[in-house]
Amino acid sequence: MTATDLHVEASLSELARIRARIRSAAGTLGVEPAAIGGLVQVVDEWVTNVIVHGYRGAAGEVHIHVDREGEDIVVRIRDSAPVFDPATAPAIDPDLPLEQRPLGHVGIALIRELCTVFDHRALPDGGNEVTLRRPTAAAGHKGAAT
Amino acid sequence: MKTTIERISDSAAVLALAGELDASNYQELIDTGQNLYGEGVRTLVLDLSDLGYMSSSGVVAVHSLALVYRGEEPHDPEAGWQAFHAVQADADSGTRHDSLRIAAPNDDIDAMLDRTGINRFLPVFADRDSALAG
Repeated sequence: MTATDLHVEASLSELARIRARIRSAAGTLGVEPAAIGGLVQVVDEWVTNVIVHGYRGAAGEVHIHVDREGEDIVVRIRDSAPVFDPATAPAIDPDLPLEQRPLGHVGIALIRELCTVFDHRALPDGGNEVTLRRPTAAAGHKGAAT
Repeated sequence: MKTTIERISDSAAVLALAGELDASNYQELIDTGQNLYGEGVRTLVLDLSDLGYMSSSGVVAVHSLALVYRGEEPHDPEAGWQAFHAVQADADSGTRHDSLRIAAPNDDIDAMLDRTGINRFLPVFADRDSALAG
């Protein structure tokens, strides 16, 4: 089992290639087939967020590192876009009336739901690194079977 | 993503999606569905049997089309959760958009439709024929 590193242009046209590489890496790293879809989804949602809301059409790069840590698959995604901590994005409060719910990024809410860990750090020289962690097994986490 | 249009009648059509629906192409789906509405289609089946992946952008596109087929304007693509507020509002009100129907989503997409609440206001059918039958 070997880690996978992927450097791509910050372009929506790269999304399909990224998903293909994540599927391939997940298989190599022993992620159960039923858990691969959710992994692909969270990476796709975050990279889309970086391209659309981070770089906002400007040129840039995204670096994706995928590895296995014990029984988890861990993805670290770096960019050079302005610092954005997803923890500052509005959460979904199910008790809040719909008209009072703050706007946020749809993809971020999905990532929160599908990952056991969703961490962000601002890089010393600018940019962002997020860590996404999910079990390699399909059972044991909400959404893991997707 | 490849789209194939099958006109069933002057007012009904099947729009089959193949490949992957994401932020790079979801606007194409909205545009195609809007064009069909402009041509007089009032019942549209989205056949997802050959669609392998749908991101949250695809969900926004589906809900936008639901609004179009209800005679309303589609969402602003940048609306984010506003689109999902509308989804939730529809679900809470019991509003069903029978003029737009979803057929044959795979397990991952079906889970996505459930997670985002789309399947609470749009009918989802096991296959294309049952969707056409309504």
